[in-house]
Amino acid sequence: MTMTRAEVQDAADKAFGQSDLAPDAAHSWALIAEMGWLMMGVPEELGGLGLGREAAGVIHQGVGKALVPGPVLAQMLTIEALAAADHLPEREALIADAMAGEVMTASLAGGLDGADRLTCVPDADTASHVLHVTDDRVALVPAQQVAVTYRAGWDKSRRLFDVVLEGPGLTLAQGDAARALADRIEALRLFCLAGDSLGGAEAALAMTVAYLETRQQFDRPLALFQALKHRVADMRTQLTAADALFWSRAQQVETDIIALGALKALACTVYRLVAEEAIQLHGGIGLTMEHPCHLFLKRAMLNGALGGDADHWDEQTGRAALAAAAV
Amino acid sequence: MEGQALTDALDGLRQEVRQWLADNAPHGWRERSSSEAAFLQIQRDWFAKLVEGGYAVPHWPAQWPGGGRSLAEQKILYEELARADTPRLLLSFMSTYHAACTLFEWASEAQQALLIPRILAGEIWCQGFSEPNAGSDLANVRTRAERVGDHYVVNGQKLWSTMGQFADKCLLLVRTSNDGPKQAGLTYLLLDLKAPGVTARPIHQIHGDEEFAELFLDNVEIPVSDRLGEEGQGWAVAQSTLSSERGLTLLELSARLRGALWRLADLIRAQGRQEDSGIVRDFGRLSAKVDATCAVADQFLANRIAGIERVGDASIVKLSYSRTLREFTSLGIRLGGIDAQYHSPITFGGGMETGNWMADFMNSYAWTIAGGSDEVQRNIIAERLVGMPREPKSWTLKEGAA
Repeated sequence: MTMTRAEVQDAADKAFGQSDLAPDAAHSWALIAEMGWLMMGVPEELGGLGLGREAAGVIHQGVGKALVPGPVLAQMLTIEALAAADHLPEREALIADAMAGEVMTASLAGGLDGADRLTCVPDADTASHVLHVTDDRVALVPAQQVAVTYRAGWDKSRRLFDVVLEGPGLTLAQGDAARALADRIEALRLFCLAGDSLGGAEAALAMTVAYLETRQQFDRPLALFQALKHRVADMRTQLTAADALFWSRAQQVETDIIALGALKALACTVYRLVAEEAIQLHGGIGLTMEHPCHLFLKRAMLNGALGGDADHWDEQTGRAALAAAAV
Repeated sequence: MEGQALTDALDGLRQEVRQWLADNAPHGWRERSSSEAAFLQIQRDWFAKLVEGGYAVPHWPAQWPGGGRSLAEQKILYEELARADTPRLLLSFMSTYHAACTLFEWASEAQQALLIPRILAGEIWCQGFSEPNAGSDLANVRTRAERVGDHYVVNGQKLWSTMGQFADKCLLLVRTSNDGPKQAGLTYLLLDLKAPGVTARPIHQIHGDEEFAELFLDNVEIPVSDRLGEEGQGWAVAQSTLSSERGLTLLELSARLRGALWRLADLIRAQGRQEDSGIVRDFGRLSAKVDATCAVADQFLANRIAGIERVGDASIVKLSYSRTLREFTSLGIRLGGIDAQYHSPITFGGGMETGNWMADFMNSYAWTIAGGSDEVQRNIIAERLVGMPREPKSWTLKEGAA
């Protein structure tokens, strides 16, 4: 797996490593499909690459680093659900379309969806299907059976929609199988949001350090001021620790949602810290639309709210840790 | 060995150590450790027991009894020691790490043959580096050694010598010259603390323990044959001593921190605050940080095993641990409420998280100040790891600049 992780990493660097921040959405989406990233999590017998969480981790860190727009995370959630629908006759055709880049989206809000409405659904206007996840049924609802409403967010790198379901769609799983699948979808959403956040934090920190090394005030580069160096060191430390936790949880075999929720909360907290500091340390220029600092801050804020916020996951983590310590 | 065979061998070692600990780990030592004398006895007994079992010095070269363990094996050993909540080896730590590692690198075979077995027999070493005016700026050492015939005459004061008041020997950094750069005038000596002119006084720490001493050296004679390296090479020798500390200590401490979360959990339950979302959240956030600290310590070790450790990686682990420990003990005080404000006797050598929260909080400074303060670690991280420019030696404004 280590070799694979290195290979995926290499591909991710080539795809978005050199490009501008927040690249064009259509071009990015075509590139993602072309690179085979949408095949990563699909089992080999269904025509995918059968790669696990590590590969998803590399991809979402890469996407976060470059502030790539589009529905890649939502698409992966839908693909995860389709792969589990082994009784569905249309499964193989749908997966093939999804892997090829036909948009099939899902809510990033966190937890279960409402009975007939979803929020925080990326690119629902161009999607052929929307994933619907409830406690006892996971379904794929075609575009003909949904009404979508765009809601402008602060983070322009994600186009989010409210969706009202007007038909039942195709059943992917029911009963216990649906519950288990809903857990897997939630786990993947949390892990990928953590990856996106750590990638973004890494890029924002690198950008800030580069700026401190270039910008001169009082006849010296800002990077010479110890007060600023220490803030960078604190960011570096928190980010490295969160990243270490990310890769350790990537290898976790069983699906422990709370452990992934704790990871996501930590990753988003670090992202937010780094993004806030990036603006502060860039000074005036960091406060302008022309400079990309704000893009990181806005995505960090949104990532913090998606998938369940830190208040939610910290409490869940606390309860789980209390229970674990009682054994 | 590789792949499955290696995994099997490591699993085998884990079972072996676990069984050995079940048979040999001391019970009830925390309760007994209510005085300095009891602490010393517990430490000596446990060290002797570990030497007997072959687990005291896994990091030593294979030619010494108990040595030759790989980093992966050492990791397992420390994880199991943490799991069994055995006393941490505080009294012998400087001897088996700092002293031994320096001797392996710099001492003659004859010196090693004499001194290394004594460490296994329980001889205690301390470190005489810091001084009142040489803390973070170690090169500023002023303790003076004058060469007179076949010995040095040493005068000066050393500070923060861990376990110095109980030690037999001392790794001593002295100044033999004031010429050239500060580092170039330093020399490294091995001091017998029973020599005439040595006075050791314990330092009273704010939580009531005395883990450090100050040493006063008044015309102390040290044979030239007890020098490591050449005269003027002391700085290089000292680097060996200091780098020996970056072993698995933080991995062990992080594992112990995770293992001690139950103390906070018990307190939350005892106070009926399981439904207090504020407390539960803070506990959850802390436990995630503890997990991240364990993960970064693990990653550090994996990188070291793979030979891809970078300068500054160890500082990340230390800073991550020290800040998390501060938060851990701080939550303990908060949960302790008014009770935590009343003094209760400390557990000597009880570790970083004994449940005596105020004492634990105050003791957490041992990790934010000792062994390179958080501020020094931040400098190392920013300059060596991130690559920001180093502090100029002396900064003068350009002519004409305001």
